[in-house]
Amino acid sequence: MEVAATAPPRTARRGLPGWAYLGIAVAILVAGPLLVLPASFVTDPGAFGDIADSLLPEALRASAVLGAGVGLGTLLLGGSLAALVSFYDFPGRRWLDWALVLPLAMPAYVLVFVLLGQYDADGWLQGAVRDVLGMQLPEIRSTGGAIAVLTLVLYPYVYVLGRSAFLDQSRDTFEAARSLGLSHLQAIGRLALPLARPALAAGCALAVMEALADFGAVNLLNYRAMTDAIYRVWYGAFDRAAALQLATVLVSVTVALVLLERMLRGRARYHGALARGEAVVPRRLRGPRAWLATAVPMVLLALVLVGPLVQLAIWSVRSLGEGATAPALFRAAATSLMLAAVAAVVAVIAATVVVYGRRTQPSRVGDVTARLQTLGYAVPGTVVAVAVYIPLAWIDRQLDGAFGTGLLLTGTAIGLVLAYVVRFQALAYFAVEARMARLDPALDDAAQSLGADRSRVLSDVHLPLLWPGIVTAGLLVFVEAMKELPATALLRPLGNDTLSIAVWEATKDSRFDTAALPALLIVAVGLVPVILMIRLSRRGAALEGELVPPAN
Amino acid sequence: MLTALFRRRGRVLLIGALIIAALIGVAAFAFGGSADVVVYNGRSQYGDETVFKQWEDANGKTLELRGGTAPELYERLRSEGDGTPADMLVTTDLANLWRAKEAGLLEPVTTPTLEKQVPAEFRDPDDDWWGLSVRIRTPMRSTDVPEDAVTSYEDLGDPQWKGKLCLRTSNNEYNQSLVADMLAKRGPEETRALLESWMANDPQILGSDVDVLEAIAARRCDVGLTNHYYLARILADDPDFPVAPAWPDQDGAGAHANLSGAGLVKGTAHAADATSLLEHLTSPQGQEEIVANGELAVNPEVPPAEHIADWADVKLDPIDVAEAGALLPDAVQLMQDVGWK
Repeated sequence: MEVAATAPPRTARRGLPGWAYLGIAVAILVAGPLLVLPASFVTDPGAFGDIADSLLPEALRASAVLGAGVGLGTLLLGGSLAALVSFYDFPGRRWLDWALVLPLAMPAYVLVFVLLGQYDADGWLQGAVRDVLGMQLPEIRSTGGAIAVLTLVLYPYVYVLGRSAFLDQSRDTFEAARSLGLSHLQAIGRLALPLARPALAAGCALAVMEALADFGAVNLLNYRAMTDAIYRVWYGAFDRAAALQLATVLVSVTVALVLLERMLRGRARYHGALARGEAVVPRRLRGPRAWLATAVPMVLLALVLVGPLVQLAIWSVRSLGEGATAPALFRAAATSLMLAAVAAVVAVIAATVVVYGRRTQPSRVGDVTARLQTLGYAVPGTVVAVAVYIPLAWIDRQLDGAFGTGLLLTGTAIGLVLAYVVRFQALAYFAVEARMARLDPALDDAAQSLGADRSRVLSDVHLPLLWPGIVTAGLLVFVEAMKELPATALLRPLGNDTLSIAVWEATKDSRFDTAALPALLIVAVGLVPVILMIRLSRRGAALEGELVPPAN
Repeated sequence: MLTALFRRRGRVLLIGALIIAALIGVAAFAFGGSADVVVYNGRSQYGDETVFKQWEDANGKTLELRGGTAPELYERLRSEGDGTPADMLVTTDLANLWRAKEAGLLEPVTTPTLEKQVPAEFRDPDDDWWGLSVRIRTPMRSTDVPEDAVTSYEDLGDPQWKGKLCLRTSNNEYNQSLVADMLAKRGPEETRALLESWMANDPQILGSDVDVLEAIAARRCDVGLTNHYYLARILADDPDFPVAPAWPDQDGAGAHANLSGAGLVKGTAHAADATSLLEHLTSPQGQEEIVANGELAVNPEVPPAEHIADWADVKLDPIDVAEAGALLPDAVQLMQDVGWK
């Protein structure tokens, strides 16, 4: 490779810079499969007529209702909790401030199965409700049930973004409002909330996106949303073309939401810039109101996190007592660990190469490929699965025909690993990029002026400094892949259960004892990055940037 | 420490090693073992792997069970085509074997032994699939409910069970096959009216047949609808469990019976071994294991488990799979239309 005398070169050279080719390769790998979605309308135009008549309107309506409900629910719950913690002081506020983020580690399908255990198998919660209130638990296989469950695990998005927006608001502005005669509460309602509106809306958009992408919870609740419809069209009616087309519709909706979210987040920054200075001093609550302020978030955490964990532990102990699960569990855990680790390694390598390529040889192509490879994060797992499977199956047939390789891609874990990378590449990319941005470009100049070529700058200068970002990136992808259900359910190599599959299959048959231990492991692993991010945020890094992929 | 690792010379080698390790890991899945017979096994949740072990031991062969749900196995077979490693498909429900047959994925097979062991009503007329066990989907009642209160599927729609009827979700395969069979035999109007009468009772919808039985035992419900062997299993441990089967239509068509079954995969390179396995599964010895699970044997020589011996006399109405299979999508749609969650 040519050694540049001055670096990084900003002028465009003739032709494409070398690193851009790597970027293009990664973009094809990650975004390429998504292109087969709209192509299905060309190759199989007839399929849409059938599904459009029966399934699509109902599924779209169900998803719209779910999205609207979760949007409203997370906005109210997350927004008011953020305001409570930001503007009032009460016993336990300090630890509730971070504890309220923890439900993010609870996959919705795990919460659903704990609740189903209470409802279906007459658990202690059902018993308590019946004894104390003299009624049954409200039916959870319902629209309200689905909205409630997803709201309870997704509100942290609104909470986190709202909290950081409130922290950014200036004390001076708030005091000015007070001196104009507004009460503390009025100042919050008329000043602080409207100022935080873009951040709250952005959090809300993320929560809605996650709700639309959810498969496990809606499937277990028999709620016929779009993701479930895609699964049923594929694995019930066995109509791949129709599944692809439903997926295209769903992905158009989520991409629209991403654009909305980016727009709103852009505005959020603008507002943040207007309001500088020290944060508002929280007002001390006293007496019963203080205790109420402590009690409400604690009841919430008990319901979403502590209660389910205790129940999972009880079931786990019982299943251990029955003794039958150990070998199957170890196999599932090993499969999960390996798949997630491979996906993490691949995603991190791809992300590092692309990020470095953009830094050392900026080009328009580099920007486009970078944006393309973060697209998958907005795409639900069921959709990724269909999008990955169909081209791979085609390639498999060609390869098998030419070389007799058997089913190299779809018969193995390769398809599933690719699906994980497509889905979660964005997480790795943002984490590595955030770290790379902190490295002074003078480093590159110095190294190159000493004669290092670009590969050596990356390996000898950047990698040693990048590793916290790389570890974060790997961890994020690893954990998300461990939790992932829909793509895993559709693409796993037969006979190789993962932890998430074990939970799902056992829950479908109400074998709650069997589902508990793998679920507990998933939640435990999921807590790691959430706690890590909370600690990072306490050290001063912006919680928002690390937790939620920033708009790029 | 990690920093030191990266700072050392040859990090490129390290990265290379990681990639290679990753690929090896993935490949481990690809080429994991080569057994004499590969079975795509939809019965993986029934704990009767011992039947397969018996065959391995008796013949000195190896087999590999790859578990999954029946639709998953069917879709996998279909997309794998000629390249499939599978030699045998085992399902818990005839609808999926019917689908596989329709798609030309099964290889007909017959031997005198098979014909002796499996009566004609429990196998495919074209020898594409063979039944392994019989499963009755029947109304269940609390033992506090009089015996003559439920004698047909229609009786579950009697207004006296309002709020006291427990059903499993409509995405369950057994329910879908039952409704499809009703559509085939009773026609759409009658079936719709029947389901509407059930829905008019505001049924409690639960996640599994076991939940339905336990809800009846706890008197949260008076009546329900489940497969017979779930109750058989509970009764084996607890003879006083307060739920009893309410065999339907014993003076008429009989109780809806579905089959768990198996077939050879088209183009299997191990047809002889797979056929031998099929013979073992339907042999008296193999059937004993399946019967131990509470299911009924297809082999007429094998009686039901002792504690449910008289269930052998129940009048059965075997699923008309050729008709019902084609009506499955209609059944799913109908259940949705009447509001079965």
